Amino acid sequence: MNDSLEIKEINLREAFRYMGYKGGEINQGILDLTDQCEKALLKAIKPRMVYRVFDIMNTHEGVEVKNTPLIFRGKDIKAHLENCGRAILMCVTLSAEADRLIRSYEAESMEKAFITDTLASAAVEQACEKAEEIIKKQVGDYSYTWRFSPGYGDFPLEVQKDFLNVTEAAKRIGLNITDSLILIPRKSVTAVMGISEEPIPPKRRGCICCNMRDKCQYRKDGNHCGF
Amino acid sequence: MDFKSLLKKEFVSLDGAMGTMLQARGLKPGEAPELLNTENPKILTEIHKEYIEAGADIIYANTFGANRYKLKGSGYSAEEIIKAGVKNAKKACEGTDTLTALDIGPIGQLLEPTGSLTFEEAYDIYKEEILAGGDCDIIVLETMTDLYELKAAVLAAKENSDKPVICTMTFEKNMRTFTGCCISSMALTLQGLGVDAIGINCSLGPRELYPVAKELCRWTNIPVAVKPNAGLPDPVTDAYNITAREFAELMEKLVPLGVKLFGGCCGTTPEFIRETNKALKGKKYVNIPHSIPAACCTPAKTVIIDRPRIIGERINPTGKKRFKEALLAGDTDYILGQAIEQVKGGADILDINVGLPGIDEKEMMIKAVKAVQGIADVPLQLDSTVPEVLEGALRIYNGKAVVNSVNGEEKSLQTVLPLVKKYGAAVVGLCLDENGIPKTAEGRFNIARKILDRALAIGIRKEDVYIDCLTLTVSAEQEAAGETLNALERVKKELGLKTVLGVSNISFGLPDRIRINSVFLTMALTKGLDLPIINPNAESMVSAVRAYNVLAGHDLNSAKYIAAYGQGGVSAETKADAQKGDTDLSYALENGLKSDGARITSELLKTSDPMTVINDILIPALDKTGSEFEKGKIFLPQLILTASAAQSCFEVIKDFYAQRGEKSVSKGKIILATVKGDIHDIGKNIVRVLLENYGYEVIDLGKDVDCMRVVSCATENNVHLIGLSALMTTTLASMENTVRLLHEHNVDCKVMVGGAVLTPEYARQIGADYYARDAKESCDIAKKVFEEFYPQG
Repeated sequence: MNDSLEIKEINLREAFRYMGYKGGEINQGILDLTDQCEKALLKAIKPRMVYRVFDIMNTHEGVEVKNTPLIFRGKDIKAHLENCGRAILMCVTLSAEADRLIRSYEAESMEKAFITDTLASAAVEQACEKAEEIIKKQVGDYSYTWRFSPGYGDFPLEVQKDFLNVTEAAKRIGLNITDSLILIPRKSVTAVMGISEEPIPPKRRGCICCNMRDKCQYRKDGNHCGF
Repeated sequence: MDFKSLLKKEFVSLDGAMGTMLQARGLKPGEAPELLNTENPKILTEIHKEYIEAGADIIYANTFGANRYKLKGSGYSAEEIIKAGVKNAKKACEGTDTLTALDIGPIGQLLEPTGSLTFEEAYDIYKEEILAGGDCDIIVLETMTDLYELKAAVLAAKENSDKPVICTMTFEKNMRTFTGCCISSMALTLQGLGVDAIGINCSLGPRELYPVAKELCRWTNIPVAVKPNAGLPDPVTDAYNITAREFAELMEKLVPLGVKLFGGCCGTTPEFIRETNKALKGKKYVNIPHSIPAACCTPAKTVIIDRPRIIGERINPTGKKRFKEALLAGDTDYILGQAIEQVKGGADILDINVGLPGIDEKEMMIKAVKAVQGIADVPLQLDSTVPEVLEGALRIYNGKAVVNSVNGEEKSLQTVLPLVKKYGAAVVGLCLDENGIPKTAEGRFNIARKILDRALAIGIRKEDVYIDCLTLTVSAEQEAAGETLNALERVKKELGLKTVLGVSNISFGLPDRIRINSVFLTMALTKGLDLPIINPNAESMVSAVRAYNVLAGHDLNSAKYIAAYGQGGVSAETKADAQKGDTDLSYALENGLKSDGARITSELLKTSDPMTVINDILIPALDKTGSEFEKGKIFLPQLILTASAAQSCFEVIKDFYAQRGEKSVSKGKIILATVKGDIHDIGKNIVRVLLENYGYEVIDLGKDVDCMRVVSCATENNVHLIGLSALMTTTLASMENTVRLLHEHNVDCKVMVGGAVLTPEYARQIGADYYARDAKESCDIAKKVFEEFYPQG
């Protein structure tokens, strides 16, 4: 199921946004480098995913993921999974090759490293989009919430360790976590999608569920990207 | 019964899954199965017995994840859980011939440089497991995806136990592990380390693993083990998709490949093992002796010495002032730059020599090897005359290395060859001994033969001995060139060994040395030279090898030659630089033209003082880009581009000073560190480039830096400005801690902090003096701090 996560081209608009681009002319040298880095990155990475579907239940402690030690605490995840009887726990990684390429660029040229880092951030989002499509196709014709990741709102990052254990992410896709809760390979995402038999009313997403919210230049400037 | 006698059987039967069996008995996903060793030993003995009844010759104790790291917070120690696990398995084996294996899986933390666990820590964790499992009959290291982690485990097993070791790794359909390790590298490295059987387990079913098993069998002559999953799992039900019968049929197909040990991984049950044993009954083990070629490797890349391969010689301080300076300053970045340049130039293998009076060679060697193997995917040749240095490097090298060198002297043979054997490396043998370098080809040939005999005697493969017949200076002794080439030819033809030669020495004392070097290289290649040690940045040397490979028929359809010299072979940077022949320095900086920048700087230095170049051209150009960045006219990549180009100019200036034995001017020392627990350091590295450009001397402590290390470094080096970065909310506490410790120890310094999750308020709250919004602002802060508070730097 991993072959289909292949990314053919990177969403450069997103990548430039992550680079802090706010309009205007882009130097040809940067465009050439971006092209070169994009090719190298796409050649290097091997995006992978793993997911499991679980029944969930609301308890006073939080949302209990049945038959596992996981309990999702916090009001945001609870609201997110409202009216959902099941949830998908998914993990996506671009693979350690992305880290390796960025690292070797850092020794060669910092601009290539930086550009590749942002390209990889855009790529992992694209891999998540693809993973979501595949999962929905495999799980069936239900209503799904969007992807909600540990660290969004008050959904604690501390859940990551058990999250990876339950999905066997280390064994199945090579995704690990450090003591300070950093996912390794670095360009990786974990997320929860609720499954409901009933239609799910659309909710505004906002910055709370954007993986770039910490680094976003728009946010730092007090603005919003409009998504 | 022991493992050796077990191998006399036609096939060896391994057990099937433990986790699957436990989950069927109520274990939940995500729970640690190893805790049952003490909490419910009965259930484990029962499962083991079921596998023994199904015909397993070896059962794996339930100790896969029983390491210090994974058991943290469980209330049990690794020792308790492992001892109990082995005991349960042993109990099940009572009265049978079945052997108990101590089962060891990955730690669950990735090793440096991708993760934060050091090789030495990994070794220590495994050592604890091996010692705790002392009662087992066999040690199994399985489901490994990182060859480096596996090497730590193998060394821990071999150095703390005398039990046989079986290693199995987990591969994907693309024939690589998650960390990119390929099959040939796995086989070369592990066989070199002296394990007793190797193989594959988990990830896929026996159908998908067939090509993996086929490739593995081709690369090894020790017994091969295969333990596949019961097909592929369903994400909704978690059920695996093939039956015991199908599994057995597919396993049977592995027999002709030469597989010796058969078992099952996730999803398999005693029924799968029973069916497999049934299918194998009456079949004969197929023992195919393979000739394993001469080769060295990194995990992701195997370099087979089946044609001339270039060994890059540049990482060596001999005669290089700038290199010596970098070594004395412990500056590995300089070494990394040399590594990248040589790989781009065409090096297949890199020689690493950091021997210099006044430095701790072993420590520096380990540091250099770790750094280079983290960024360059080429095998390394570890070059030192000191056995302790060689051992230090061999231990932490990731893959199969080349040792440079042993020679015919008794002392050298006795100290170096055992290291080569223990760590499974290849070795360069120099044709010299107690009496120096023999003048004649005959004399050198005899030493080569002696080295070979001694290597074979302690179990080093013939393919792993490369002979260096030694190049002498032709201007001193004209007939010497002929003797070297004759010796080389004889070693190659009569002993059948690979040959290596440092070429450049030939022309010492002559003008325009490269002409002599390239012709001598070509002569040596026609005599059978396999491994020329050359400067890969010297185009005529590299092109001689490439052209030779075409003419000798090694480079099929001249593909590599065309790739290097056809239209597509010119890199984007060279193209960009070439467009503008007569550009000025500011233009080069603005457009990030590194080689132009360096070239123009050297030109300028012929007529101008370095300080004038820095103050009148470099700094104003940087200031201009900096202010455009602040105004939002350009964005970060452009700022970094200019900074990198400026860096190449500064490199020329540093070189200029080094040649004159002068110190470059520093505007002040700054420590940079990404705090403890945090491994996102690209932002910090960008800050470093900019600060260095403005003339500050940066002591970069790297990432995941211990809080106290910042304090001691600041005190020892008398540093007054410290920059700390953190990218995760989870690591801000380490930043606060570091700032607090700096204050507690009364370090006379200012602290600036930055990083994605920081805010000016938080910076103030934790007691930092400045909040740096971006890399440019760090430079402004540095300027202010040194002007206002520490004008002495």
